[in-house]
Order: sequence, then structure tokens, then C-alpha cells
Amino acid sequence: MTARRVDPKGLPCGRGWTGRVLLGAAVLLSAGTPVRLSAQDSQFGVRGLGTPGRFETARARSTGGAFGPFDALSPLTEASLGDLQQLAATAMGGTSYRQADVAGGTASLRATRSESRRVTYLDRTWDVTRRDSLLLRGTMRPYVDELSSDGGVTDLRFAAALRVSARFALGAAVHVLSGSTRETAGRTFDDTTYHAIRQNDETRYDGLGISGSLLVDPLPALRLSLFARSDNRLRARLGDVVTAETNLPNTFGAGLRWAPSPSVRLAGTVARRTWADAGAGAFNTVSWSAGLEVDAGFAPFRVGARGGQLPFGAGPTAPTEVGFAAGTGRAFARGRALVDVGLEHLRRTGAGLSERVWTFLLGFSVRP
Amino acid sequence: MRVRRVAWLATVLAGCVDQATAPGVCPTFCPSGQIDVVDTVLAASIARDSTFRGYVLPHQAGAMTASDVPGVVDSRAILRTSALVSGLALNTGDTTTSPLVGADSMKLTLTITRHDTTAHNLTVRLYRLPITIDSTTTFADLRGAFADPTDSLRAVNVDALLAKPGGVDSATGDQAAIDTTSKFLKVTVKLDSLQAPYVSGDSGKLGIGVRIGADAPTSVGFCTRENACGASLAWFVKVDSIKGTDTTLIHKQLAAVTLFDSYVFDPPIPPVDSTLAVGGAPSARSIMRITLPRAIRDSSQIIRGTLLLVPAVPARGAPVDSFVVEAHTVASDFGAKSPLVLDATRTDTTMIRVGKTDTVRVEVTNLLQFWVADSTRPEVLMLRSQEEAARPTEIRFYPSAAAPYRPALRITYARRFPFGVP
Repeated sequence: MTARRVDPKGLPCGRGWTGRVLLGAAVLLSAGTPVRLSAQDSQFGVRGLGTPGRFETARARSTGGAFGPFDALSPLTEASLGDLQQLAATAMGGTSYRQADVAGGTASLRATRSESRRVTYLDRTWDVTRRDSLLLRGTMRPYVDELSSDGGVTDLRFAAALRVSARFALGAAVHVLSGSTRETAGRTFDDTTYHAIRQNDETRYDGLGISGSLLVDPLPALRLSLFARSDNRLRARLGDVVTAETNLPNTFGAGLRWAPSPSVRLAGTVARRTWADAGAGAFNTVSWSAGLEVDAGFAPFRVGARGGQLPFGAGPTAPTEVGFAAGTGRAFARGRALVDVGLEHLRRTGAGLSERVWTFLLGFSVRP
Repeated sequence: MRVRRVAWLATVLAGCVDQATAPGVCPTFCPSGQIDVVDTVLAASIARDSTFRGYVLPHQAGAMTASDVPGVVDSRAILRTSALVSGLALNTGDTTTSPLVGADSMKLTLTITRHDTTAHNLTVRLYRLPITIDSTTTFADLRGAFADPTDSLRAVNVDALLAKPGGVDSATGDQAAIDTTSKFLKVTVKLDSLQAPYVSGDSGKLGIGVRIGADAPTSVGFCTRENACGASLAWFVKVDSIKGTDTTLIHKQLAAVTLFDSYVFDPPIPPVDSTLAVGGAPSARSIMRITLPRAIRDSSQIIRGTLLLVPAVPARGAPVDSFVVEAHTVASDFGAKSPLVLDATRTDTTMIRVGKTDTVRVEVTNLLQFWVADSTRPEVLMLRSQEEAARPTEIRFYPSAAAPYRPALRITYARRFPFGVP
């Protein structure tokens, strides 16, 4: 009798070569219009390149991201793809309610995003207004500025994974970064003698990256994930003119998952990203997460916490982020369809700005 | 159950509506780029300017001006009425007409489009003029006819008439009322058979001059037939019935209109010189060629443009003679015959105050934006009076040849926003 290990998501881990290799499972077709980005808007991203996306499914995010390196459907690592035995598709959506406290004022913001075929690399969706005045023709002219950006940079991944043995899997991927933002700049003077200013343009982005990851099971209940990624640079274009080239970070991370019993799993992840390469106002970041997933019979229960730094912000030090998340899921159609829901709370703090974010997460996974 | 479904749907829909606008604290939490607004005076951007006169003649204008501003301008309205029919069919089925043999009276109604409300006791005085008046008639030609106020046919104090119940003077038959729709003041003056005789040799045509006066220098605008509100006449005529032995005179009412209306004024408009003239009668227009710098035209957004014009001579007349100057662009540059682009959204205006020598500012933002939006359009600007030839008042500006006072363009524009820079 052959023992059959079962992946925490319930996916069987094959032992023969036919079941060990899965190539190109994560290639996501790029046809069609770009999808909106996951709910990652932040005022901290206005000044810099944007707000980095999370390479996590709703399930992994409900554990604070701790299970991301071990989740085959989370695009954080590739080695975990080796555990996929069949075609699978996943989609995720989320609605964020964000409260930003800046300069003594508070703004309540809301955003709904979905993600299916592409993964957010940088979210550049924001809209800021500012009231000021300008000396024109000898008189101070009050005005209101509105600057906005809608869009971002997505990550199209061509990944391959190989399960070398029952205790060892590896994977690698090439990342094509692409995307665009529709940017607008407007100014409305109180004095209507001055016509309103309305300018807009569309900025396109491109870049490349490579990544690799390992999954090692030193003990039957213990799994270690090591992952690294290097992105070269993000090039911004207006039409055919390159307007900016910004260095992108290298990422190094590790995760550990422990399953003390078949129904209980604990995981922790830490990652470092060298965002300081992006230039002034950018910081290297370290992020961590810890989470627990319990199969409580009818539906699993997930909880986790995360913390770390944000890459862009004002002041001499990087803004910080802490948060917790919880969620659950439900399988339908004999396990072929999974619905995951989660709730995440984040608090971001930096010089001159703090944000509190509640995000409702909804994920769908299908294995026909 | 239904309520819960609706509540669930409302919650979902509310969640799908983004609210992304947040107050910006710049530069800390704003994009690196900022809107850059520049205000500059383009002193040498206007060239090849000139003036042309004769677009609209006084008798073609939509209004005619009568002014009494001693030492400045003296203007009088003149009009010639239409002929009356020589005979009338008194009864239905009559194959012959009965001749007009005289007039009992005539009522002349004048429409005043504007008047100076600060000048009280506005008096309208009517004079008899020869019926030979036409578009070539000058003030000097009629000096004799207007010489003595005691020679006037009638004089009506409009303010006093308006103060009467219903605006009617039952003794004289005069009437004054304000049209509730147009807000124009209509003055009806009754003339008896001596003041307005029916002269069969003239077919009932009359030449009438209108002169105004008040306690203070004043000016009045009368509507003209070109504006479909010229003077109208109601004749009360006598017709010889000539039916058998019946030679009874029949009294009939006949309507007449003006076939010609214009105004004459003194002093006459000086001839066109090197200055840029706008207004007057016949009307003058000034044309200017503008060269916008390519940096502004091609890659900036103009948010305000002001044409600066320095008067060489102040506009002369009564304060109420202040007039509006329009700045148009042209469809093609054919000099004096350039066809104007008559589009309200591409027309900018300013008020010219009589007697002022302050720099005149015309907001030409609409025109500049029009040129920027369509680079095939000629950057030509034509200035004209809004009511061309309706009053003798004109303004003259220094031309581009007069370097210290040349026309200039003050432009406020926004440079291209630095999109694409994180």
C-alpha cells in the first residue's frame, strides 16, 4: 500500500515522474484588456512607483500571507506549482475601505479590485486633490488641483516547476512586467476668468524579471520554502518616448510550514526587497507574516498576522505596516470549486500619514 | 426575504463604487510633477494690423442714435415714411376707388431701445424734413431744417408722459409705454393735419427728423426698420366717397411704415489714419495678425488670454454711448474682406467706456484656445463694434507700429504636465 501525502489544500502530491512535472502551469494569457488591480491602493504609493501588490490568493492572504510560498495558486513562488496535478484557475476580488489621516484631515476611501489573469506588481491608482493659491497678474488666485492615476503594472509570469522527489521541488519563472496608467492633471480656479486646466495622458510600463524557488521537506510535517527574484528596471513610456527608467528590487525570502497534525498547519514567511534601488524616497523593506490554518470539519479556519515596511514614503525611514487577517473557505462540486473569503485589517504608519484599511477578500478556484 | 436581498444587493453595489479621491499634502504625498502655470506678455506677437471702414452704413444699422452732448456730438435721427395709396375702395365689391383728399391726423410711434436714465426730462422733438433725404444726406445738409427748436412739429417730454396714468396724455393724444417683452420704450406722438399734412403730390410721404434733449447731455437709441422695429405711422385720412350725389368725406385709418431711416451727426468721423479704429458710422473694423510661439501653441494649454489695447483717442459721446467691441477670428485671411467666424463660443467681447483712456482689455481666451485646437485656422483677429454703425462713437487704438503703446497679448498658460515620471 502506498501512502499518499496530501497537500494542505487537498491536492494530491504525485510521486511518479508523470505527476511530478508541470510546465507552464502558471502562464496566463495576456489577450484582452488589463484587469483592474487588487485592492492595494495607498497614499504612500503616490509619491513613489506605486503600491507593491501582494502575490497571494485570498486563502494565503487570510493567513496574513504566511502560506503564500506554499500555495500553488499564489504567484509568489513557482516550486509549489509542482504540487498541482491538474489544470486549475483562480480569481480573486476585494473591496477595501481605507481611512487616511494626513495633515490633520481624514479621508475615507473605497476601492474594489479584481484579479484573475494577471497579478499586480505595482498599483498606481490614486486621486489626490489639493487647494492652494497662486499669484497671477498681481492677485492671489485660489484653485483646486486634482491629480489622478488609474492603472498599474501587472506581472505576467511564465513559470515551470519540477518535483524532483517527494521532499524536493524547484521552480523558475520569467516575469514580464507590463501595464499602463491613465493619468490626469486638472486645476480649477475659483476665478472662472481662468479656464480650467485639463491634461491627460497614458503612460505605459514595461520591465522584466526572473525568479526561482525551492521547496524542501526535511521532515514529513515540515516544509521549507526559499525564493528569490530579480527584476531589472521599470521603463515608463509616453507614446514612443521613454520618460523614466527606475531600478526594481531584488527579493529574497523564506517560509516555513509546520503541520503538527493533518488538520492543523502553521506557517511563517519573511522576505526582503531592495526597493532602495528605485531611487530617492525609496527604502529597502523586510516583511514578515505568520499564520494558522485549521481544518474545522465543515470549513477551514484561517488566521494570520503580517508586518513590515512599505517601500515609499516621506521622511528618513520607511513607513511601517502591520495587520491581521482571518478567513475561511468552502469546497463545492466534490472539491472542484473552492470559495475563499477573508477579512484583512492593515494599519500603515509613516511620517505625516497613517492609514487604516479593512479589506474584504473573495477568491474562487476551479479545478475542472 | 426580499428586503434582505435588496439590502444585500445595495451593499454589493455600494462596495463596487470607488471613492479614490483623497486630500493631497504636497509635495510629500503628491506626484512628483506639478501643474506649472506661466503668465507672460507677448509684446511683439501682434503685427500687420490695419483698419478698414465701411462695413455697415448708418442707414443699414440696427439702431439710430440721437444725441445731445454739447461740444462733443450732436446726432439726429431722420426717417422717410412710405407713400399712401391714392384711393380706397370704400365698400366690398367696389370696382372703383375713392381718392384721398386729406388727413385728419397722424400718429408716429418710435421705439427707443436705450436711453440715459440719469438724464431727466427726456424730450423728443420732431421736425419736418424734405422727403429727398437718403443715405448721402449729411448733418450739414439738414442743419437748416433743425435750426430752430420753435420750428419743430411737436415736442414730447417722455418722462412726463410716462408719469401720466397709463402713459397717456389725453389732451394731446400722445402715449408712452414700455414693451413688457422687449423692454423697449415706445413713444407715440400725435400730429394734426397741419403738422402732418397729406400732400397728394408726395403721395403722403413725409420726411421727419428726431432730435432729443434733456436736463443733461444725453443720447438715445431708436430702433430701425433693419431691426424690424422701425417707426410706424397710423394715418387718419379723409376719403371722398364720390357716389352719385353723395360727396360725403369718409374718415379712414391707414398704416404706413418708414422706407428709410438713418441718423446724421456732427462732428463727422475723422478719416482712417494709422491708428486702429473700431466702431463709428460707417463702421470700422481693425484686423490683427497674431503669432503665437510654437511652444505655447503646440504643447501648452492656454487658460487665459487678454488682448491689451492702448487707446490713442478716447471714445467720444454720452456715457450711455459706451459700446461693446467684439473680437472675432476669421475663416480665411483676405484682409478687409476676411469672413468672420460668427460663433458665440469663439467670440470675445469687452465694453468700451466713453471718455476713458485706460488700457482696454479684451479677454480672447476662447479665440486662443480655438487656434490651439485647430492649427489650420489663421491666427487673425478682427475687432468690430457689436452694434455696427448704430452710433457714431468709435475708439482708436495705437497700432503695432507705435512700439511703446503697441497692442500686446497677455497669456496665462499651463505647460505640459510631466506625465510618465513616477
